[in-house]
Amino acid sequence: MPAFLEMRGIVRRFGGVTANDGVDLDLNEGEILGLLGENGSGKSTLMKVLFGMIAPDAGRIVYRGLPLSGHRPSDTMAAGIAMIHQHFMLIEAMSVVENVMLGWPAAGRILKRAEMAQRVREASRRFGLDLEPDAMVADLPLGRRQRVEILKAVLREAQLLILDEPTSNLAPREVADLLTILRRLRSEGKGIIFITHKLPEVLEVCDRVVVLRAARVSGGARIGEVTRAQLAEMMVGHDVTAPHAHRSPTKGPVRLKVEGLESPGLGPLSFEIRGGEILGVAGVDGNGQIELAETLAGLRRPRAGAVMLDGRDITHAAVAARTKAGVAYMPADRSSTALVRRLSIAENLMLRDSREPPYGQGMFLSVAGLQNQARRLMKEYDIRGEGPKTPAAKLSGGNQQKIVVARELDRKPAVLIAHQAAWGLDPGATRFVLERVLALREEGAAILYLSSELEEVLEISDRIAVMANRGFAGVTMRDGADIRQIGLWMSGRAG
Amino acid sequence: MIDFLAAAIRIATPLLLAALGGILSERAGVFAVGLEGMMLMGAFASIVGAWAAHSALAGVLLALVGGATIGVVIAIVTVRFRADNMVTGLTANILAAGLTSYLLRALAGGGRPIAIHLTPLPPWPIPKLDQIPVVGPLLFSLPPLTYLAIVGCIGLHAFLLRTRTGLTLRATGENPEAAFASGAEPMRVRVLAVVACGAIAGLGGAVLSLQQVGTFTDGMTGGRGYLALASLIVARWNPIGAALACLAFGAAEAFELRLQGFGVPVSSYIVQMAPYVIALAVLAGLGRSSRMPASIGQPLQWD
Amino acid sequence: MTDTAPSAQDSWLAYVWPPRLRLANSMAGRVAAAAALSVALSALLVALSGHNPYAAFAAMLKGALGSPHQIGFALNRATPYLLAGSGVALCFRAGVINIGAEGQIALGGVGAAAVALHFPASLSALAVVSALAGGAVFGALWAGLATAIHLGRRVHEVLTTLLLNFVALLLVQQTLAGPLGQFGAGFLQSPELPRAAWLWKVPEFGAHVGFPIALVAAAALSFTVWRTPFGFSLRVAGSSRRAAAYAGFSAPAITWSVMLIAGALAGLAGGVEALGVQHRLIEGFSLGFGFKAVTVALLGALEPLAVAPAALFVGMLEAGAQSMQRQIGVPSALVVVIEGLTMLFVLAAMVRRA
Repeated sequence: MPAFLEMRGIVRRFGGVTANDGVDLDLNEGEILGLLGENGSGKSTLMKVLFGMIAPDAGRIVYRGLPLSGHRPSDTMAAGIAMIHQHFMLIEAMSVVENVMLGWPAAGRILKRAEMAQRVREASRRFGLDLEPDAMVADLPLGRRQRVEILKAVLREAQLLILDEPTSNLAPREVADLLTILRRLRSEGKGIIFITHKLPEVLEVCDRVVVLRAARVSGGARIGEVTRAQLAEMMVGHDVTAPHAHRSPTKGPVRLKVEGLESPGLGPLSFEIRGGEILGVAGVDGNGQIELAETLAGLRRPRAGAVMLDGRDITHAAVAARTKAGVAYMPADRSSTALVRRLSIAENLMLRDSREPPYGQGMFLSVAGLQNQARRLMKEYDIRGEGPKTPAAKLSGGNQQKIVVARELDRKPAVLIAHQAAWGLDPGATRFVLERVLALREEGAAILYLSSELEEVLEISDRIAVMANRGFAGVTMRDGADIRQIGLWMSGRAG
Repeated sequence: MIDFLAAAIRIATPLLLAALGGILSERAGVFAVGLEGMMLMGAFASIVGAWAAHSALAGVLLALVGGATIGVVIAIVTVRFRADNMVTGLTANILAAGLTSYLLRALAGGGRPIAIHLTPLPPWPIPKLDQIPVVGPLLFSLPPLTYLAIVGCIGLHAFLLRTRTGLTLRATGENPEAAFASGAEPMRVRVLAVVACGAIAGLGGAVLSLQQVGTFTDGMTGGRGYLALASLIVARWNPIGAALACLAFGAAEAFELRLQGFGVPVSSYIVQMAPYVIALAVLAGLGRSSRMPASIGQPLQWD
Repeated sequence: MTDTAPSAQDSWLAYVWPPRLRLANSMAGRVAAAAALSVALSALLVALSGHNPYAAFAAMLKGALGSPHQIGFALNRATPYLLAGSGVALCFRAGVINIGAEGQIALGGVGAAAVALHFPASLSALAVVSALAGGAVFGALWAGLATAIHLGRRVHEVLTTLLLNFVALLLVQQTLAGPLGQFGAGFLQSPELPRAAWLWKVPEFGAHVGFPIALVAAAALSFTVWRTPFGFSLRVAGSSRRAAAYAGFSAPAITWSVMLIAGALAGLAGGVEALGVQHRLIEGFSLGFGFKAVTVALLGALEPLAVAPAALFVGMLEAGAQSMQRQIGVPSALVVVIEGLTMLFVLAAMVRRA
């Protein structure tokens, strides 16, 4: 009998970056395989190759005796493979049943809407998905949207399910439900590839694990024959980072004071941050983090409330005025907010300061000022690019984020709002970003550090707040924080 | 009054056909700024076809081909080469204006345009139904392409909402990556939608030349493609709504013709502005609430 | 990377000599190829209609450059395209798709003619400057109207500028039928403008001073784009609206600025045409100019200085077309075909990176 799934020697390059470098992978029926690896280790690329969304440069794939090459998603789906993407592939402006019918031959040339709605209801009941066929996807919370994806897969009788970081947008409670659904699917004989970088989930639900590191397979094992520490070592190449040497917070004066802040999707919310203090904000994405960060940065207008910086009211200050007053902001969206990819490193470094010296001299831009400043910042912040004129798009993610760090921190800000500042970076760049933020704290700035990675928040913060339902579900000192309590807050239960 | 309504329907017909094509294109995610050129090409091809083959049917078929040709050009440049939709559409309009004008003269072998004069297509009354007072002369005694526009309008509505292909087309306009992940081929969908848009808008051009005037003159569409574009946006990409919007524009123009007929001392230039001003006013009134297909104008992003 | 002395590529000249121009350099070949390809296709068209393409193009070239008078004609023709086109390039670069140059040029003509007719000045310099200023103001006002609707009511700028073009053309007809019209002329035109308001011309060539003025304007715009904070802000806005907001640039302020500048330049183009070529306002005097402005802006890769050769190319094509039609009998509409094809090829050659 042929193997269920066999991938051999997969290679895929993007420009100069090799995302997969000769990767092998096997999967059996009725098995949940954990595909483990840091962000950027090549997991998603490997799965997109399998699903036919991108073509490999080399390697072969055999699925139940059927060689897959030059295949497109329509082919793989017809063969019984379904993929649930990290960013859901749903049409928000359509209903659940329309999303199910999309691209599915069984829906009929003339759509059998009533029949399909019935099948949605049945499958929803059978797998405990709790979905209404006529609900609009745009109105569903993220956890439900994921179930629409699962529904699509089971209705099409997929035998192999690929789930790309399925828990990254879910609250702990929703994660538990998802794992239950996955076990039920396994018991029906389906093969499942579960992509994640979170060890606890792997240990809880998977039968076997394959670990990727820097585009290659760095290890594999049966669950039960491997410890968490061993898996972590396969992932990062050394033992997991030791917690930061933590100096006791300097008890400075209150620098940032937020009172009853409200904007669409946020609040009301009140908190204070002292100089030399990092307030870490944990929580599942989509609970008001972006709204909080952008309202503080001046990109959204608050409906009510006040924001005080060193006692000055900056509630209604424009972005430029805030920057001048000492507010620095590292947005979560690097590719089109924090940076302009087609502009040069030098131009990205002056993005928020172009009217100020050394860049702007009255009505004109100073070429010399731009040159010298860029050279200096590239050196000081270790931005590795050919030269100041290299477009930002040509840099690695880590070097791109270093541009943002250099621009925002070199201004010696009074307040830093950092949102997903280390997301998707390799370990070296992550350490660089965290160290720079900690250095800024030593200089007496007030720092708001928002991240959906709980471990990162635990590592860097002096105090920890958990965001749920547009506000803080709870706030605790970092020392002596109760992880279970934080988990409860994350699932939306106020403490 | 019946005359007035009949005039409104007559003026609305070419607009409606172009708008229907535009809806196909835009719901697949490509701005339909090229409607003007597609209409012009259709108008030209239909007259030349009907004249050369002595057959109105040949004219109609060639109108489809002529409009589709412009559609192919736009599809290649925007979908394959990811160029800006708006500018490509405008360019295609310039090309169509130049090409029709050049060919009209080249056909005569020299600097003067060839003179083609055909009898405009007569109405096809539907027996019995055309005897109904008011409704009969208005709706059941129309020229052939007008019937086609009405049927096409309802057909397009059903196609978008009730068929799998229509669903795929809408999904492509909303989120092509998701459509691709669901097994659709967004590039193919967009190309076909734009080409079909060209063919249908070409029919709209044939209404002007073949059905209403019987000849072709340089730039005879006179901005009607842009007006069709305005009407489909006013109608929020809904075929039935587009029919109403086109009728409203038709009524405005018919009203202007009326005024001239009665010698009312209102400048005809001011009245001719009406459709454009109305379109602007309606767009301004809709403001933000007009939700475009989410991915419209955005090039496809993967290999 | 090997450690070598900084190459010319790497020098800080790049900030003086804009990167986009270098990109245009690397793209110059492609643009030239696009032009060549469209000429070849047009040659095929000429051959199919039974003429000798070589003779046709020879006639065209002779018509464009054959005599001082012809050269002057081509320069005069290129002037409004360069003026309006560099403004359009500025808008496109800021991500504002302004296709309202057509209407702005037409109203610029009205403004210039109105000032010249109603406020005649005996001093030529004063008459010319005030009339041109009138044109610029009218053009900017019309662009401002489109901007107000666009920003105030969130209607796509392509639609506001496009629809207002049609209104503007009708408005010109209305003024020519009314306040500015010449009674009993038989068709819509104004009386001849006072001689004091005519643009000064180079004797023998017949080229008016519009082209140098347009060149100065394009150079000023190019400097603005590359060497001022304002230029930087519009380049950022053209690349990413969100990054511009994050940088603290006001999108409405940028849109207003580029639209008013482009409108004024387009209005100036209309004024130059009326004062320098027609010496009166005639219905349809600027028909198609606005779309040509978009053409040359793109041919010039949205770099205001590079719009100049593009405008000259189109101007020469059109100057040559007339004599080609007269001498060989190939319809001059062929030029429009060449323009359309060139632009399509250029659009395709500027493949956006995924």
